[in-house]
Amino acid sequence: MKLKFLNTYKTEPHHNLALEEYLFTIMAEDDCILYLWQNKSTVVIGKNQNAYKECKVDTLEKSGGSLARRPSGGGAVYHDLGNLNFTFLARGKNYNVEKQLEVIIYALSFFGLRAERTGRNDICVDGRKFSGNAFLKRGDRHYHHGTILVDVDMAGLSQFLNVSPKKLQAKGVASVKSRVVNLSELKPEITVEAMRSALKKAFEQVYKSSCEEIYEDDFDGRAIDELEEKYRSAKWLFPEKAKATFLMEERFNWGEISIGLELSGDRVKSASVYTDAMETELAPMLEEILQGCRFAKDELAGRLFAVSEDYKTIAEDLRQLILSQDL
Amino acid sequence: MANPNTCKFSKSHEWVDFIDETTAFVGISNHAQDLLGDLVFVNLPMEGDELEVGQVVCDVESVKAVSDIYSPVSGVICAVNEDLADAPEKINEAPYEAWLFKVENITKTEELLTLEEYEAFCKEEE
Repeated sequence: MKLKFLNTYKTEPHHNLALEEYLFTIMAEDDCILYLWQNKSTVVIGKNQNAYKECKVDTLEKSGGSLARRPSGGGAVYHDLGNLNFTFLARGKNYNVEKQLEVIIYALSFFGLRAERTGRNDICVDGRKFSGNAFLKRGDRHYHHGTILVDVDMAGLSQFLNVSPKKLQAKGVASVKSRVVNLSELKPEITVEAMRSALKKAFEQVYKSSCEEIYEDDFDGRAIDELEEKYRSAKWLFPEKAKATFLMEERFNWGEISIGLELSGDRVKSASVYTDAMETELAPMLEEILQGCRFAKDELAGRLFAVSEDYKTIAEDLRQLILSQDL
Repeated sequence: MANPNTCKFSKSHEWVDFIDETTAFVGISNHAQDLLGDLVFVNLPMEGDELEVGQVVCDVESVKAVSDIYSPVSGVICAVNEDLADAPEKINEAPYEAWLFKVENITKTEELLTLEEYEAFCKEEE
């Protein structure tokens, strides 16, 4: 088995996922690659999750954060530069989850911490999770990747994750909430840089062999760019067959209204409006103007300017209603 | 529904149950569901999708990993098993009842194995 080690200091999530998939495609039969990477403020969702259900996409984008979808399974996580990601890539029998986890556990032992695998996909210290893991298999190619929380901003985590399940309903894999801990809280000397070195050392010691360092500059940049484009695309982030429904209900002085949006991908496929307001043309008019709109607060609210002058007050109330949604 | 004794199997662990010469149901084998572990999601293909032998059709997510499903035939998907969207565990419970998709206009088939050959292949693979 040939051990290879790749560190990247790029922090663009779509690029880093592209590089990961590139390694996955080009790895040789006897390679075992350890790849370390970090994403700047990003919500990463699992392959089969609905983006809107897991993540407040609007809030995230307005704060300058990114949304990314990984090809592996599991739930939504928040990454920032206080988090270090690792990926083990190998083929056939060289892929060994137990041994790969041992590398992480061994790396923590350098800092005097005793970590253990708990549940299916978590690694914990004293019952507190610092690492969540996910897996991908294509033919004999496998990868196992995970997070290592070193010094993540926990406020970001709660700010961007999870939308009210009462308002937004969609099929998909559900995320599981866990009690998480930053490693720097347990041992202040643990930094991302220290963790990178510890992992490389542990990788060599657990596999009892030295590793060759590989560099992104030696790869086919165009192939990586193409993959990056895929990861950034609306088609990948919001697949058309991912359906969801979003419901807003409110009582105003002119009457009660319920606006249901049926989403397909990142668009409103159709809207259903019910109201007891006296204005009978209102509901069909709203249904028409909301159809086809991208599911983002500003764009939805913007469409209400198309409501005819006669209903100006109502349109303004509804604009405020849309803008107040916690999306 | 499908009877494993009369099904054909691919080396990528799908079963194919031909109902006539050019139409078949496709699912994943008992061995495959056992390796995957508890399924949590089935990302089904769409009706009308055109398939080539060996192409990735869809994927399934288990507690262990996301795994691709390959097409053992060339043809056109004429139905998908929507029941699985709400109940992926049916694949674990009854892999030969839980078909994933139905293909029509089958023009080509990969080299498929009988149950006996497939079982021998699985043993060899371990």
